[in-house]
Amino acid sequence: MYAFEYQRAGSVAEAASLLAKNPEAKLLAGGQTFIPTLKARLAQPSHVVDIGRLKELAGIEVKGNVVSIGAMTRHAEVAASADVKKAIPALADLAIEIGDQQVRNRGTLGGSVANNDPAADYPSAVLALGATIVTNQREIASGDFFQGMFSTALQDGEIIVRIVFPMPKRAAYSKFHHPASGYAMAGVFVADTANGVRVAVTGAGSSGVFLWKAAEAALTKTFAAASLDGIAVDEGECIADLHAGADYRAHLVGVMAKRAIKKITG
Amino acid sequence: MQPSRREDLRLIAGHGRYSSDWNLPNQLHASVLRSTHAAARIARIDTAPALAAPGVKAVLTHLDVERAGYKSIVGGVATKDKNGELMKKPFYPILATDRVCHVGQAVAFVVAETPEQAQDAVDLIEVEYEESPAIVTFADARAPGAPAVHADIPGNLSFVHEHGDEAKTAAAFAGAKFVTKVRVDSQRLICNPMEPRACLASFDAATGRYLLHAASQGLIAPRVHLQQITGVPATDIDLIVEDVGGSFGIRSSPYPEYMLSMLASKTLGVPVKWTGSRTDTFLSDYHGRALSLTGEVALDDKGNILAFRWEDEIDLGAYAGPFGAFIGTQNVSIMCGGVYRVPSVFVRSCLAYTNTTPVSSYRGAGRPDIAYAIERLIDQAAQEHGFDNLELRRRNFITPAEMPHTTAAGQTYDCGDFPAVLEHALKTVDWSGFPARRTQSEKRGKLRGIGLASYIEAAAAGAQPKDQTAARVAADGTITIYCMAGGSGQGHETTFVSVFAGVLDVAPDAIQYRASDPAFAMIGNGTGGSRTAAGQGSSFTLLAQALLAKARPHAAKALGVAEVSYAKGVFSGGGKSITLKDLARQVAPADAGTHPFDSEAEGSYGATYPNGCHIAEIEIDPDTGVTDLLRYVAVDDLGNILQPMIVEGQVHGGVAQGWGQMFGEHAVYDRESGQFLTASFMDYPMPRAGWLPNSGHFDRVPHPVPTKKNLLGAKGVGESGCSGSLPALMNAMMHAVRPAGVKELQMPVTPAVLWRALRDARAKAA
Repeated sequence: MYAFEYQRAGSVAEAASLLAKNPEAKLLAGGQTFIPTLKARLAQPSHVVDIGRLKELAGIEVKGNVVSIGAMTRHAEVAASADVKKAIPALADLAIEIGDQQVRNRGTLGGSVANNDPAADYPSAVLALGATIVTNQREIASGDFFQGMFSTALQDGEIIVRIVFPMPKRAAYSKFHHPASGYAMAGVFVADTANGVRVAVTGAGSSGVFLWKAAEAALTKTFAAASLDGIAVDEGECIADLHAGADYRAHLVGVMAKRAIKKITG
Repeated sequence: MQPSRREDLRLIAGHGRYSSDWNLPNQLHASVLRSTHAAARIARIDTAPALAAPGVKAVLTHLDVERAGYKSIVGGVATKDKNGELMKKPFYPILATDRVCHVGQAVAFVVAETPEQAQDAVDLIEVEYEESPAIVTFADARAPGAPAVHADIPGNLSFVHEHGDEAKTAAAFAGAKFVTKVRVDSQRLICNPMEPRACLASFDAATGRYLLHAASQGLIAPRVHLQQITGVPATDIDLIVEDVGGSFGIRSSPYPEYMLSMLASKTLGVPVKWTGSRTDTFLSDYHGRALSLTGEVALDDKGNILAFRWEDEIDLGAYAGPFGAFIGTQNVSIMCGGVYRVPSVFVRSCLAYTNTTPVSSYRGAGRPDIAYAIERLIDQAAQEHGFDNLELRRRNFITPAEMPHTTAAGQTYDCGDFPAVLEHALKTVDWSGFPARRTQSEKRGKLRGIGLASYIEAAAAGAQPKDQTAARVAADGTITIYCMAGGSGQGHETTFVSVFAGVLDVAPDAIQYRASDPAFAMIGNGTGGSRTAAGQGSSFTLLAQALLAKARPHAAKALGVAEVSYAKGVFSGGGKSITLKDLARQVAPADAGTHPFDSEAEGSYGATYPNGCHIAEIEIDPDTGVTDLLRYVAVDDLGNILQPMIVEGQVHGGVAQGWGQMFGEHAVYDRESGQFLTASFMDYPMPRAGWLPNSGHFDRVPHPVPTKKNLLGAKGVGESGCSGSLPALMNAMMHAVRPAGVKELQMPVTPAVLWRALRDARAKAA
């Protein structure tokens, strides 16, 4: 780890001002990606601005037909939340599959979504549910937010405050864990929403999380696992690496999608 | 709830003292610059910018090591090949000289006031590398025209080891009715102890002695190696080790950082500490396995084994590491007939260099590999030639009536009941009920398989001539016992104390155990080869007897009688009695000098042959390629069991590591660049507790046939879990996938590998 100046922000406004003052500053949320990156000397920020304990960024609130989750809410809190389990059980199911208990106790929703790791779980829920990312500057629709591996619509100095999830009619998440890292090798979030059926895929796509349009069309006609027979994501759009070929990941997307649908249809 | 081990509370509560827990006043901190290339000439190293950095006290390169007169890191074997030639062994430098031979090789050693300053300064060292082609597999190393890892070693061939009778074996094959051939790869692994390496060295100019804290498995071998490398007499090196967080074979010899810390401490006049990271573990701890065995079996028309023949390919890595060549010669050879009556064997092992981290011993060190190969070969032979895989084994087992039995490979098995162990395991797992269970799985769209392995391994033999132990009695009557074996999770405090206290017939908590106290210049083996219960355990038995013999006349004198009896820690005679502890207090010297009960003992015990039958039952999800280990039965003849909980833990751990090798672990280098691709837990899967069967589905059943080769009848445990699990798991896997048309698989059988194999077999059938 390189030396840096550690600052604990007292508010979102103070965090934003610290970022503005120090162009080489970075935000620290739960630190589950950032701290290992620092330890491996792969980042050398001048300042680390800790927003992990900001009360204004924490908490889960259900209002009408939306669930609003503060950016610094830990995965373990989402997984255990009675409100989330009631409103969007698939989201709690997703949270419990992230990492291990230690990771879930530290990692945050905002940190995960802002990092946009192509194998992270949350981006699939955000995209499939058509959530809104609320920052200290504006509101961003999920469809505009994710812009490829580790890339998002966030501007310099912009901080995610909360994410607002509309409640779907029904939804489920199915994940194939990477044997080493535990991240998604293929994770599929299927949601039947007010705006139609949405199928978001994480872990497999070489451009990060994406909506599987062909599956959405098929499920819109008939919401059943069998509707996906003969449909596959394009292997050319999938990650191939040491652990698995693109064909395997493409295949897994289909299997996980069917399993998610079966969780819903029984 | 089972009782915990004596050491557990201390370790769980964080009171263990591991290598990096040691600190000394005024210590400096070191960091290592490692090679980023697999093969390159070093045209230039400029350390000046690092030396000028804040807090930096020294930057060592190979020039400093040479100036100090330090020699090659120790490794290799001294045996000769059939032409009388010794193995070809390059100089193994502590710091790279004019070239680097693998990624992660140590190039420079920076010493600074803080660890951060040392790490920062490492980045400032300028090294000009001229890259050359690298080879990272045995096959590439031996290919015609392959780049040479070392210019003076043609074909990268270090040694060809032969064992057995080639002509007799060839004749047996010529007359065979059936022949089966199987190749098995035992892929390169990272050993990954929980504790990364660290060391603290301090040179005392007044006495000329070194104090060294660094993880080790025993006190003799590391100090002898340090003497051979540095020229410092072993007797001038106080190696103080308390707790070690896992060793598995790779903590038994010194690493470059230990010698460099010693040198830097002498040069700078203050203690020098180095603390490695997990990345250092991946890159620079010795790697494990990295061999391929091709076996052939010759059978007559009834299925009697006539001969085994082996061609082994051993990847040593870039240098001859401490035990790499030993694995590739002795350990894969001496047990190459397994539990079977085999009239003739022949082994040819080729040992080659590659541009990879050197290989050394890892849990079993060649024994799990040959056990794996034999049991794959027997199953395959049964399959190919229409024999029942149980009957083929039963027909060829060495029976108890044939014990002691000297094998064609030259080992004399003293005892064992392989047929009974097999039947015990079959009954435990309900082998005959398998077809019904397979039908159930098929109904759910799953593939189910069951596989067994009857393994045997040579254990307990040590490199040192004997195992010495000592007891020291304090003025308050408490007894502390010592030996030279270092523990790293084996529960020595529990086992040795209970053996010693058992002979004295006193409560174990009256006895203290200290590992590895260099104040006693004793001889004794390190912890390895599943041997400490047999070796040190037996010696502790003698030690307790020796102490009692010393105490007896004092008891008679104290009680004023000619003869005393002894039971439950109490001497009795003439209607009076005195406890051993009170007696020890009474006769303690006033000046804290030598206590009259202080005792020493020693013993020398030969090899034992732990064996067993492991059975695995698996279910495969063909949609994902995920394998679920539904049931595991380990029936082991480990001889007498001293501590059931510890033995059970050892079997469980060995099976878990076998699971890791079977289903996931693989240290991978890029074939083109020689870069190391699996240098973190993000890319290197370790077995998780939840992936093994729950209790009730994981039976570990003792079937002891006590040996007479040591005083406790113990054959040893530690490595047997790997020897049993690799073949049992792969035989179960092949049993499950053979009906689907899959003919061959190599470890690791990851979900992706298995899915592809099933898909390809389906495509071929269609």
